Amino acid sequence: MSRGEDAVVSRRTVELFVSGLLSIVGIGLAISNWKLGASWAADGPQPGYFPFLLSTMLALASLYGVFDALRGRHGARGDAAFVKRDEFVRVLQVLVPTILFCLATEFLGIYVAGFLLIAGFMRYIGESRWISCVAVALVLMASLFWCFEIEFQVPMPKGPIEDRLGY
Amino acid sequence: MDGTAIDSLLHGFVVLLTFKNMLLMMVGIILGIFVGVLPGLGGPNGVALLLPLTFTMDPTGAIVLLSCIYWGALFGGAITSILFNIPGEAWSVATTFDGYPMAQQGRAGEALTAAFTASFFGALAAVLLITFLAPLVARFALRFGPPEFFAVYFLTFCSFVGMGKEARHKILISMLIGFLLAAVGMDTVGGSLRMTFGFSDLLRGFDFLVAVIGLFGLSEILLTMEEKLAFEGKQAKLDLKVVWRTWKSLPRYWATLIRSAIAGCWLGITPGGAIAASFMGYGLAKRFSRDPDSFGTGRIEGVLAPETAAHAAGTSALLPMLALGIPGSGTAAVLLGGLMIWGLQPGPLLFVEHADFVWGLIASMYLGNIAGLILVLATVPLFAAILRVPFPTIASSVIVLCAIGAYAVHGAVFDIWLMVLFGVVGYVFKKLNYPLAPLALALVLGDRAEDAFRQTMIASRGNLTVFWSNSLVGSITSLALLLLLWPVLSDIMKRLRKSGDGVPTGAASG
Amino acid sequence: MNARFVAALFGAACFASLPALAAWEPTKPVEFVVPAGAGGASDQMARTIQGIVQKYNLMKQPFIIALKGGASGAEGLMAMKQAAGDPHKIIVAQSSLYTIPFATNLPFSWKDLTPVTLMAMDEFVLWDNAELPYRTTAEFLAAAKKVSATEPMKMGGTGSKREDHILTAFIESKAGVKFAYIPYKSGGEAATQLVGKHTDANVNNPSENIAQWRANQVRALCVFDKERLPYKAKVTETQSWADIPTCKETGLDIDYLMLRGIFIPGGGTAEQVEFYDQLMRKVAATAEWKDYMEKNALKEAPFGPAALKAFLEKDEPLHKQLMTEAKFLAAP
Repeated sequence: MSRGEDAVVSRRTVELFVSGLLSIVGIGLAISNWKLGASWAADGPQPGYFPFLLSTMLALASLYGVFDALRGRHGARGDAAFVKRDEFVRVLQVLVPTILFCLATEFLGIYVAGFLLIAGFMRYIGESRWISCVAVALVLMASLFWCFEIEFQVPMPKGPIEDRLGY
Repeated sequence: MDGTAIDSLLHGFVVLLTFKNMLLMMVGIILGIFVGVLPGLGGPNGVALLLPLTFTMDPTGAIVLLSCIYWGALFGGAITSILFNIPGEAWSVATTFDGYPMAQQGRAGEALTAAFTASFFGALAAVLLITFLAPLVARFALRFGPPEFFAVYFLTFCSFVGMGKEARHKILISMLIGFLLAAVGMDTVGGSLRMTFGFSDLLRGFDFLVAVIGLFGLSEILLTMEEKLAFEGKQAKLDLKVVWRTWKSLPRYWATLIRSAIAGCWLGITPGGAIAASFMGYGLAKRFSRDPDSFGTGRIEGVLAPETAAHAAGTSALLPMLALGIPGSGTAAVLLGGLMIWGLQPGPLLFVEHADFVWGLIASMYLGNIAGLILVLATVPLFAAILRVPFPTIASSVIVLCAIGAYAVHGAVFDIWLMVLFGVVGYVFKKLNYPLAPLALALVLGDRAEDAFRQTMIASRGNLTVFWSNSLVGSITSLALLLLLWPVLSDIMKRLRKSGDGVPTGAASG
Repeated sequence: MNARFVAALFGAACFASLPALAAWEPTKPVEFVVPAGAGGASDQMARTIQGIVQKYNLMKQPFIIALKGGASGAEGLMAMKQAAGDPHKIIVAQSSLYTIPFATNLPFSWKDLTPVTLMAMDEFVLWDNAELPYRTTAEFLAAAKKVSATEPMKMGGTGSKREDHILTAFIESKAGVKFAYIPYKSGGEAATQLVGKHTDANVNNPSENIAQWRANQVRALCVFDKERLPYKAKVTETQSWADIPTCKETGLDIDYLMLRGIFIPGGGTAEQVEFYDQLMRKVAATAEWKDYMEKNALKEAPFGPAALKAFLEKDEPLHKQLMTEAKFLAAP
């Protein structure tokens, strides 16, 4: 068994984490909606009535989820890997660039950030030649720019470069 | 009455059949397909964006252009759903359930053909309804008050939820999350803000499209990457013959098509909307299928049903707009604004005062959908060929498109982050076998159902029997409850039959 | 000599205003924020302005309409607040400028924006279903009074704790009646629900009920203004807008109007305000705008930032008072 087959985290742990998180969210929302008014007034339910009911149910169902995961009835399936090391690495290979892309969008605008994402992704994951990475990314983002900014006039987040060009 | 409708329709064709109008029609459909394919840039946006261009045109030409954008968007929404699991339009979420698995199996051409043909069938059913029954249907739509609306939403919900292979508490949790997300923001009935915690980015609530682009689209890229799969389908034959082969198999599914067309027309008029219709169509097809468990693995009915219903609803939603002046959908609302700017007053008198315009529009519905079908079918090989592009190129472009889509909905960078968050949630949920469809449905119907319920309660002063107060609302509510309890009922019946045969029933427990 | 002095002053003023006019104009597309849903009254107004500006080429840069109707329009208001200092955004606002902050504690005040000008005033009309037997306001209110305690009449309107709801509460306190107010998502929905007899009456703006009025499905009882509407062309077979009596004439002493005004984000300079004010005046001078005003039975309003500010300073306290009386204020 190679190291890539090792589990990063077991399925049971993730189940516990998700259920636990959801039950905390459920309890928090229930309190917030209770404060808003969650009773049945003369003219029907108050604003917080349904959300209160829903969040209470969410808390209860998630607590059942916690209990279900702890009980460990699922045996081998529960102890199985949620994600294996090499799988996890591959997921991060998409997720991390995506998050960087969003960050870049805040500062550089979506067009430049998108260009960097596509070109970089094609180069490092797809191992294409630099020239074709740049060409494909440039053509794609330029046509999106033409489509949204010029034809449809839907403004997208833009950065200093577009500002220089007068957009 | 039929005779006059046909006469008026023929007159409408005469009005329409000018070179200029036909040209506008083609331009509109191509633009519409474009708008439908780009996620986030939905039908209402597409129509709204071109509205100013039409101020100087004559009303008939203007409505032909704009309504054809709408038809194009209805067709185009299915394309990215099937190819990449990203709903191009909110109403094509249900199309991803089986359309995307089909594409993964190398049957993208078949799925696209089925989707387009089903869309056309749905639209045709709705246009026939508009042609012959407009006044009747308009009067029927007036009978819908808050209790009836609630009953319709309830029915949609019941026809979809109730079955699933996943653990019960996970179905419930997914649904509850959807309902809670729908409740964030301004509460129409109470006039107060709920669960915004002082963040102005939460004011507008969680948009359905932002959520589904992340939950379905981005999460799918994460999963594909994890499994080291490239998009399969490279070896599939991509020629126009696939259209013919798919068509030959379609008559077999006549019941699904008709059922979905009826559900779609109904929801378009009432107005539950195309999104609700697509879910209801899918839910009904699954419920009435002999093999419901195979849905979600690439069944052609799973593509036919939601597409027929969505297109039928999208088309028939124009009827209440024309005849009553109430928009049945977001796009209809924009068209309504357009009509007023062109100097037409939608409402009961429109059919009398501007017959040329109305029948020209109805004739354009026939021609526009035929032209649309031909155009999109011709492009099936082209779209299917996109799948041959190497995975890294596709994946990164799809991420950019997801971000553009999420941003375009409200023009907020916050929504891009939200979309990424939903992507991660979708990935974790899929791996833990939480179903995502109940979340999507609850998110789209939740607040509308709650509004209708609370409006009903104000009017009836808290009396719940109002849901059986007349034959219309009573029969919808009862039908909904029947559908909801159907799995339990059929289970009981099976057990009864089994115990009748002398087979012990205790074996199932434990 | 005195006259010459005045003339000189006038000349100087003209000179001064010329470079001022040229001093600022948009350098990129202007985002026109609509704090309401697609197809509604605000959206239509914005699109009409956009169409006129485009047709007569009144501005070099285009208008781009941005619908920000989330949370009853609070989304659009907050977007404008956050855009302080950006003169390439304008908003067409109405009384939700203060009703939403009062009802929800939203951290927003119209003082966060820079007022440009009023475009028009929107009227409210009391409508009932044409098949009901009440032909006048008095008959209607008498009938409403009778059932107030047992099964109150249903009044439809747009949203909760907003203009329609406030006006309904105003009627309730003036006439000593009680309604069951049912909030809908839009005025169009309120209109259809009235025709379908799911409600008994509504207080829609003229434009929201005109289609149903022309089809004789609803009846206009009175208009909530000091004087009648000026438009004398027949709208229905028998009536024009000017034929609707004022509510005061019919014994219900209420006048209530809603502004439709243009603002730019906070920190707008005098030159920027001047540019948009002049632009809107040019829009208002066109035949298309006059036609739009008549079709929607809108009331003319004085132009310029001073008039808008004066109106807001009067209208905001009025709403605070009405909403306090109706117990619509959010708990602090």
